Amino acid sequence: MEKILHKERIDDWISALTGWEVLSPALEDGIWAYRPVSGAIRLDHPNTTQPPKGLAFPQREVFFSFEQIKGEAPRLTQILPDTVQRAVFGVRPCDGRGAVRMDRVFGDHVEDTYYQARRKNVAYVGLACNQPPSANCFCLSVGGSPVSTDGLDVLLTDLGDRYFVAAVTETGKALMTAANSLFDEPADADRQQLKSVHTEALAQPQRAVHNPDAVPAKLKASFKSPLWEELARACIGCGICTFLCPTCHCFDINDEVTGSAPLKGNRVRTWDNCQFPDFTMHTSGHNPRPTVGARLRQRVCHKFQYFPENFGMPQCTGCGRCISECPVGIDIVSVVNKVVEHAG
Amino acid sequence: MPDNIYLPELARITYIKEEVAGERSIKTFRVEPVNGDSFEHECGQCAMLSIFGRGEMMISIASSPLVKDYKQFSIMRVGRVSAAFHDLAVGDVVGIRGPYGNSFPVDDWRGKNLYFIGGGCGLAPIWPVITTAVAQRDSFKNITVFYGGRSPRDIMYKAELEKLRGVADVHLSVDKAEDGWDAYCGFVPANVMDKEPSSDNAIAITCGPPIMIKYVIQNLRSLGFADEQIYTTLENKMKCGLGKCGRCNVGKDYVCVKGPVYSWAELKELPEEY
Repeated sequence: MEKILHKERIDDWISALTGWEVLSPALEDGIWAYRPVSGAIRLDHPNTTQPPKGLAFPQREVFFSFEQIKGEAPRLTQILPDTVQRAVFGVRPCDGRGAVRMDRVFGDHVEDTYYQARRKNVAYVGLACNQPPSANCFCLSVGGSPVSTDGLDVLLTDLGDRYFVAAVTETGKALMTAANSLFDEPADADRQQLKSVHTEALAQPQRAVHNPDAVPAKLKASFKSPLWEELARACIGCGICTFLCPTCHCFDINDEVTGSAPLKGNRVRTWDNCQFPDFTMHTSGHNPRPTVGARLRQRVCHKFQYFPENFGMPQCTGCGRCISECPVGIDIVSVVNKVVEHAG
Repeated sequence: MPDNIYLPELARITYIKEEVAGERSIKTFRVEPVNGDSFEHECGQCAMLSIFGRGEMMISIASSPLVKDYKQFSIMRVGRVSAAFHDLAVGDVVGIRGPYGNSFPVDDWRGKNLYFIGGGCGLAPIWPVITTAVAQRDSFKNITVFYGGRSPRDIMYKAELEKLRGVADVHLSVDKAEDGWDAYCGFVPANVMDKEPSSDNAIAITCGPPIMIKYVIQNLRSLGFADEQIYTTLENKMKCGLGKCGRCNVGKDYVCVKGPVYSWAELKELPEEY
């Protein structure tokens, strides 16, 4: 389904989405994040500081609560996610591709109860990147594109005074059908313009991982390279690279006690981070990844070697957030290029 | 798999035995499901045990899959959850979910000589294979168990090991000589070299401290064992058991899913990060 939507009608489209909570990029305290829409929306944002991954995989979620009277069996009450349907507007193609990767992690082998319950209620209305929204974009190096529809339900392309609106999934069609009368049929001129906008978008200069197809094998050969420690020396282990990554999925599970006699509390999942030393530290004190170099290597190799080995695609989607937001200037594109170059 | 993969079943502790006393004490626990049936497991698989309010820990299941009434775990007191476990009493209720990980290919080993080589609390993960093989004694040729502790007081499953004599060759060792100890004195890898097991139609299964495993494998190789004839198990910090929480990987493998059991042929293909 392909339609034209004049820009002044986008708020009417959102109003027509009854039964959906609609989110769009909002600037709060200097941080772009997806927030519930209130009032008119504008889709002229750069990429958001935070990817939309938290909608299916929140920073903190309670799995179940427990209550135990001393000497008796504990009582467990599972806490399942709400069933609100959420439509997220303005998602960049790299983040759509991020969702594809998260879906594999939380869907393959065994389905993650909580992720799946949230994910099935989330729809992504993407926005093509006519211009790279960040100086650190490199989606073309990781199999993506500024006009990719992977993981999106609808793709919008800005044609000046109107959007070209293309449904990608059945959910996307349903979102458009809900406001049928607002859309126009695309004319030949619209299609022509779409084509030229997409062609121009694909020709925009970006950062580049050199020879991306060779990267997994070169990284495998570089596991023992001294370069890892050198490249990671500045790392302060803050983990912002992983928290803002659209595909980082590591988490911790802990019990939070809220009361005693009877014992009360919650088992809670929170985001965790492979850049923290205790992430892998055994109880004995042994740590398989004891240095910043080993931890940088893990982040880079997970994205560019292990994930491709397991799922046939790089885990990185080239959004560039980890580069833009790193407080010490560690740059994943240049790290990959340097290690690969060093491997010969 | 249950509807909610993170919701543990409740299990009651029905048996506790102190195997090893002292600072790094080891206790054996048996648990039985509170609400009817529990999950089935295979040799080498693990389970996530919970104490509500303290958290979860991944422990290998030390009982044979042939034992249906209970699951056994031998746990060293090291961290927050294991210490809390050591303070429990018979009748207390804990959480359990699983089983996790792959298993020893015991069925492929029928008709072979089996060598088990354990050190410290590393006897527990291979104990289900030992007891399964002994229960199906006619299916296997010679069964030999090498096991060592730091001192005679660090030997776990003492009575059970004595009971194995007769159906299996048992070679115990302690690291340092001590009055009253008449078996081998020295490290486990040296005890293996001393007894010179034959690699002919044999499988060696080893588990213990990393340094022991390293030298056991080295010695087995020098005795003529091929990489495919040597099996071991890995351990890593784990939170989910399902290949999602991201911390137990060695290279592309999440140990909780693709491991913990590896042949040396498989393990040496992974990066040395364990």
